[in-house]
Amino acid sequence: MFAYEKRLQFPIKIRKTDPNTAKLIISQYGGPDGELSASMRYLAQRYAMPVKKVGGLLTDIGVEELNHMEMICSMVYQLTRDVSEEEAKTAGFDAYYIDHTKGLYPQAAAGLPFTAIEFQSKGDPITDLYENLAAEQKARTVYDNLLRVITDPDVVAPLKFLRAREIVHFQRFGEALEMTKESFEHPNYYFMNPAFDKKAEA
Amino acid sequence: MPNTTKPIPSPSLAMVNIKKQEWCEPYDLCTALKEGTIFPCLNLTFYKAPPGDSNVKKTSDSDEKLQLNRESFLSKLTEVSFALNDLTLYLDTHPTCENGLTLFHTLMKERLELLASFAGEFYPLTQSSMITGECDPETYGWGEGPAPWEGACI
Repeated sequence: MFAYEKRLQFPIKIRKTDPNTAKLIISQYGGPDGELSASMRYLAQRYAMPVKKVGGLLTDIGVEELNHMEMICSMVYQLTRDVSEEEAKTAGFDAYYIDHTKGLYPQAAAGLPFTAIEFQSKGDPITDLYENLAAEQKARTVYDNLLRVITDPDVVAPLKFLRAREIVHFQRFGEALEMTKESFEHPNYYFMNPAFDKKAEA
Repeated sequence: MPNTTKPIPSPSLAMVNIKKQEWCEPYDLCTALKEGTIFPCLNLTFYKAPPGDSNVKKTSDSDEKLQLNRESFLSKLTEVSFALNDLTLYLDTHPTCENGLTLFHTLMKERLELLASFAGEFYPLTQSSMITGECDPETYGWGEGPAPWEGACI
């Protein structure tokens, strides 16, 4: 089960209203490589992982991604909470404003709502861990792209933190892949799927 | 199927091999939070966001002593808790590392003490810290103190 702790993993304190920046950052809430997608991916994949410790890692990273989602939402909230009626119309925020006012809604920067189509749970430990390695790199690229176009130090600090987490997670998934490989009884990793063919004959 | 326990040759064709991280001396807790990891060897920075230039501790908009106290208290809790988050993932894949386990025990003890004293001094951050004192309806619930996303209490 999950329990809430009333604080952010990394402090968010943005002083300058900037709806345009909010429109970019919201992609890491509900976008294809966003934190919500990451969390749902890892928490969904846990059940079919044959190595218990790998399931444990997926739980811990899946929960950390929820912390990151809360950070991204806090950033969007703080960047838009003082948006005026005039700014809502003119600052590139109009389309979002019409549908959501200042409410938080999980969507990509281009407006596509959050969808589970963005991620996979394949029920094969090798395949799922490769999916996760790729996911961490895709998110890292998004943070690189955000860091190229955003200069407000209040926004850069948490983005830099989140980018660093993608690299740490990539390393841990790599180590989880090594642990999974060590558990294989057959030297051919593709001989069977240990999450399905448990009683396969050699 | 014969239970072949012979070591699998590594690296092998059609399979990625990732080097397991070795323990490296962690950053101090404040730097670790700014950089996003406690491990200097995993801090692979981007040229647009070089290390060491993040200002985590913001000057307070309020001159109130309570706010300043609370912010420095919560900063400490955030640093300790983040180090534990990062260490947890390390221990998930290095469950027998003595350096990691020792640091985990030290930090966890500190975190539990900080959580309890924060609830006593200011407001509860967790459901379990809502009952540290007397049975007081005033201190129950999420109503006390700013919401985390308000940015008022870092």
